Amino acid sequence: MRRYARLYWHFLLQRFKILLEYRMNFVIGAGSTVLLQAAGLLAVWSVMRQIPDLNGWTFDEILLVYGLITLSKSINHMFADNLWIFGRAYIRTGGFDRFLVRPINPLFHLLADRFCHDGIGNFVVGIALVLKASLALHIAWTPINIAYCLVAVVSGGVIFIALNLLTAVSAFWIIDSIPVTSAIFQTHEFAKYPLTIYSRGIGIVMTWLIPYGFASFYPAAHLLGRPIGVLAWLGPLIAVALITLAYRIWLWGLSHYSSTGS
Amino acid sequence: MPTIELSHVSKVYRTIKKDSGLRGAVKALFRPHYVEKVAVHDLSFHVDAGEVVGYIGVNGAGKSTTIKMLTGILHPSGGSIRVLGRDPHRERVANAREIGVVFGQRTQLWWDLALRESLNLIANIYELEPARYRQLLAEFAQTLELEELLSVPIRSMSLGQKMRAELAATFLHQPRVVYLDEPTIGLDVMVKERIRAFIRDQNQRNGTTVMLTTHDLDDIEQLCQRVIIIDAGSVVYDGPLSTIKQRFGTFRSIAFETAHPLEIEHLILPLGTAIASHGERALEVRFDRTVTSASQVATALMPQIEAIDFSLAEPDLESIIKQIYAGTHTAALREEVLV
Ligand SMILES: Nc1ncnc2c1ncn2[C@@H]1O[C@H](COP(=O)(O)OP(=O)(O)OP(=O)(O)O)[C@@H](O)[C@H]1O
Ligand SMILES: [Mg+2]
Repeated sequence: MRRYARLYWHFLLQRFKILLEYRMNFVIGAGSTVLLQAAGLLAVWSVMRQIPDLNGWTFDEILLVYGLITLSKSINHMFADNLWIFGRAYIRTGGFDRFLVRPINPLFHLLADRFCHDGIGNFVVGIALVLKASLALHIAWTPINIAYCLVAVVSGGVIFIALNLLTAVSAFWIIDSIPVTSAIFQTHEFAKYPLTIYSRGIGIVMTWLIPYGFASFYPAAHLLGRPIGVLAWLGPLIAVALITLAYRIWLWGLSHYSSTGS
Repeated sequence: MPTIELSHVSKVYRTIKKDSGLRGAVKALFRPHYVEKVAVHDLSFHVDAGEVVGYIGVNGAGKSTTIKMLTGILHPSGGSIRVLGRDPHRERVANAREIGVVFGQRTQLWWDLALRESLNLIANIYELEPARYRQLLAEFAQTLELEELLSVPIRSMSLGQKMRAELAATFLHQPRVVYLDEPTIGLDVMVKERIRAFIRDQNQRNGTTVMLTTHDLDDIEQLCQRVIIIDAGSVVYDGPLSTIKQRFGTFRSIAFETAHPLEIEHLILPLGTAIASHGERALEVRFDRTVTSASQVATALMPQIEAIDFSLAEPDLESIIKQIYAGTHTAALREEVLV
């Protein structure tokens, strides 16, 4: 564990050296994610300006949901972006072979190989949204609330990573896993808003099947003091269960790896 | 205990045929249409510590597949493999500490990093002792002439520079077994020489066991005492290089240049000869000099083809192996292996 932490640090350091060399890339990458987020928010804002609330949720409350999922997503974006391109950039090219001939965990190697700085933009936007919402909604930043938020965001991030890992495994068979990953990932759009605004079915899917709800709606509802019962505390458990499952499936996929010709 | 041991190893690739897009992906996942390909079949051989073995065969013979199984990247479909007493696939991480690999067509270094940074990362991955690392780096920088390249990112290196960098990265953790899959592909003679010298030096000083795949027979002649030739996934020859030369050194060839376009179908060939190649006005005939002689062959053919010029050649290793590849002597070789 300590060895891997140290190693991650070395990978990160090299990554930042590259980023320093291409400073413009860094600015454009991180900046463009901020712009993308801004466009999305503008849409929410222009809708909410017309109506006082959405199914009992005010604009600021929705911002909290939106901010929390943005933070969770940024964790996935920063630390696990390589899962997206695993098939295209590592399996198809045979580049994955070199991970397998080194004495470290190949999944760790894959993730550590590219810290994605674009995610920093998401992270900053997420922090800003959560702060703005909490000020407007008078959420007190007590140590308990801070700890709750931290655990919720990390759990949310893990849920994002687990789902992307689960779908990236398909690359072992079909090489290009992006369509599969994207199909599941896009459903997180639902979880940018309170799940109560949708039909029951969508709520159930976002809670028990593709549980992005725990990256946004449930922690937000808890912080706002809405009664959601035990669901307020299930996030970490679901995250651990899902990442364990995803890792098992990854190992199973790995045993089917057949490399590339040439 | 041999360093590398394969017994009755086979590898069958099962790949999925798939259409593009999400539809194709979903269909491929749930109703896969498999295509099977036997790449290696009943392969057995072993290599002892400190040997440098040339592993050769035509394109698609199964060389890279074998190396991928030996390094633990792929698991065999059948048979068993031991490297330093371990199963390289099951005990992949433990195996990885002891081996080094070069895949000639791709790099194991980080594209955007300067060579020094890449090597630093590798030293960290293998947990090299800092003092030892510095010493080896200095040594390799000198023997592979890398001093000026240390601050250059891999992406801006030439092919030859890249391969030298690659070798440094491969030998940095002082592996006991090294697999080199076409390490000299596309390089000029000077770089080839330097690389061969480096490999020879590592082998002699550290007793590194080396398995080398190449299409360049100079590599074999200069580095390997032993060659294993495979064809269609099985061994067709395993023995000293000298035996191949002796065994097939009895072949000679005569090349004719003719005045008129050839009519190959109408040629009557004397006993013990075969057509090696032919063009519109060119003919090369190979013969076994223990069966017939150059003058006999020439006498028999000259009246038939109206030759304006001819020359006699002794075979070099390349043409011998070409014959073996072409299957001309596969049967003879198999017998030899059996005896
Ligand atoms: N990942 C793969 N999936 C499916 N078939 C493969 C794969 N890798 C190799 N093959 C097939 O297996 C056979 C052996 O390939 P291999 O790469 O081992 O040959 P090779 O001897 O290294 O050839 P070359 O000299 O061209 O490098 C070939 O027919 C090849 O098409
Ligand atoms: Mg090959």
